[in-house]
Amino acid sequence: MTIKSITGCIGCEECVKSCPCDVIRMEHGRAVIAYPADCQICHLCRMYCPVDAIEMSPEKSIPVIVPWG
Amino acid sequence: MTTPSDTSGPTRRAFMALSGATAGLAALGMQAWAQNAVEIDPDAIANTDHSTDVLVIGGGMAGLFAAVKAHDAGAATMIVSKGRLGSSGLTPFGKGFFVFDPATESSTIDDFVDTVSRSALGTNNPVYTRQLAEHSRDRAAELRDWGFFDQTLANRPFMQPIEARGIPLLERVTITHLIKENGRIAGAAGFRIDAAETVIIRAKSVILCTGAGGFKPNGFPLGDLTHDGTVMAYRIGAKVTGKEWNDGHMTRADHPAATFDGWGDMFERVPSTNGVEVHHDLGVDLNYRAYVLGNPVAGGPGSLPGGDGAEVAGGPFVPAEFQRNFDGPPPGQDGPLPGQGGAPGGPPPGFSPGANVGGASAGMAIHKSEGLVPFDDRCASNIPGLYAAGDALGSHMAGGIYTQIGSSLAGSAVQGAIAGEAAAEFAVATPAPAITDARLVEITGEILAPLRREAGYGPAWVTQTLQGVIIPNFVLYIKKGSMMQAALAYVEELRDHHAPMLRAANMHELRLAWETRNMILSAEMKLRASMFRTESRCSHYRLDYPEIDDVNWRAWINLHQGADGTMQLSKQPFGTWPDPS
Repeated sequence: MTIKSITGCIGCEECVKSCPCDVIRMEHGRAVIAYPADCQICHLCRMYCPVDAIEMSPEKSIPVIVPWG
Repeated sequence: MTTPSDTSGPTRRAFMALSGATAGLAALGMQAWAQNAVEIDPDAIANTDHSTDVLVIGGGMAGLFAAVKAHDAGAATMIVSKGRLGSSGLTPFGKGFFVFDPATESSTIDDFVDTVSRSALGTNNPVYTRQLAEHSRDRAAELRDWGFFDQTLANRPFMQPIEARGIPLLERVTITHLIKENGRIAGAAGFRIDAAETVIIRAKSVILCTGAGGFKPNGFPLGDLTHDGTVMAYRIGAKVTGKEWNDGHMTRADHPAATFDGWGDMFERVPSTNGVEVHHDLGVDLNYRAYVLGNPVAGGPGSLPGGDGAEVAGGPFVPAEFQRNFDGPPPGQDGPLPGQGGAPGGPPPGFSPGANVGGASAGMAIHKSEGLVPFDDRCASNIPGLYAAGDALGSHMAGGIYTQIGSSLAGSAVQGAIAGEAAAEFAVATPAPAITDARLVEITGEILAPLRREAGYGPAWVTQTLQGVIIPNFVLYIKKGSMMQAALAYVEELRDHHAPMLRAANMHELRLAWETRNMILSAEMKLRASMFRTESRCSHYRLDYPEIDDVNWRAWINLHQGADGTMQLSKQPFGTWPDPS
């Protein structure tokens, strides 16, 4: 799952802004993992989060290649 | 300005929510059909229009100094970044900053330049190598004043000089087009990812600080770097160089995509400076061992695969002066301790302990050695008003192999500053450019085209297809003419058929669509340059031409788009500047 979960978000948007790959977006004032397939597991979101709300996983859910995509 | 988020009408929103869920599944590869379930109305997209003297594209180390120095030289300056200042591209992850300090170095700058040139086998541009040494101490001092060496995360220290000068900053804006009018640069255009909005920026001068790029490989933090600057500049006639070189970073065999884990604790380190330490590495030799013996391999370059000591015949040439074998790991350990990457005498930054596999940085060349061809020692391209710095400039500061440790960040700082001053000088002597409304309409139409396609190809799928063709180690690492020709046929298919049919359902996918287009063209550049160089040298290794050919190949390769639209290649002898014509 790459970036695994966001628990206890205070809505500061630091993770949204610091993600190089636009994985996280705001929804109803809280950060949500919007595009997990694009996570590069660099941990910048976790490091910028002021309240340690972000849990990471070393696993990436790599999408299956489908024909005629 | 109206954006979909401002729209309160329930019908369209409800429809979009439903179709958005479908698009999400398609992006994950769970839907085979290619209908575009668009979430926003491309006809309701706003536009903002900005003007400045100097536009800096990119918010990393090069962009920071380009903006500061252009401003300080008297030019109205603006920065636009795809992400956040100091938190996108490779800048957040470099922790070593090379400083040549005459007070502590036992050798001279001449000695340093000579050593780099010997390691680089002539591929470096000694003018840019010297600049690095001459200016690095001053740039480090400025960074120290801004607090860069006091923290782990670069955003706050980077914001310090930008806020102090009141330099306008546009973040999370993807630039897709450079605009050229009457033979010179006139600005750039792109879109915001947080709103349905295109962005036009008129500028007298533009500095590309857009970083390096790759094919979004697993295990290296360049998922947002897709050679955007190089490709945009190529499309308006800029010359590009260095596409045959390869960065050879590895990633861990157990969790190959876990970029952070692979670098030990390096990403959380406070940046520091280091002195002269010239190498000839970054993994091409290790990738050769992996190709011959199979994965995984252990540790950094020169270390033994799996500890079995197997000798491998042939492979890339390493000058005797720069051959090195790392000491074996301490008892009970598979390799260097986590966090030792980049430590003096240890493996280069990013080479992690334990079993590794190659290809982590696939699609990226050696730092500072691929990008726009510099036409002088001040980072100018062949297009008047267009400059590049850092990894977007093919300065060959280090050459076609990684030479001076810590020169990646330092080189970007040094070149950013030089380009900033040069661009400001150009801008204050130049009238504001005129861009016709018709041209802006045309560009905006191109930018948004993937949103308007009712059917087409998803950028995630096209990217994966490209990765499957171009990342395997027998294509661009251990090269053969026949295999590259085969790969080129695939890439041309993606370029001609799939790129024009890329679809996007929202602004996130629109960014992916443009990144995919850029990666396809970069793949073509890398293949053509690698096929053209019929020898092996530094990080370019060919099984069918394994030897260095000093008779024919003491030359850089430059690419440009010919009048008929095809990619043209030419040689530029080492140690010369390009013909200004």
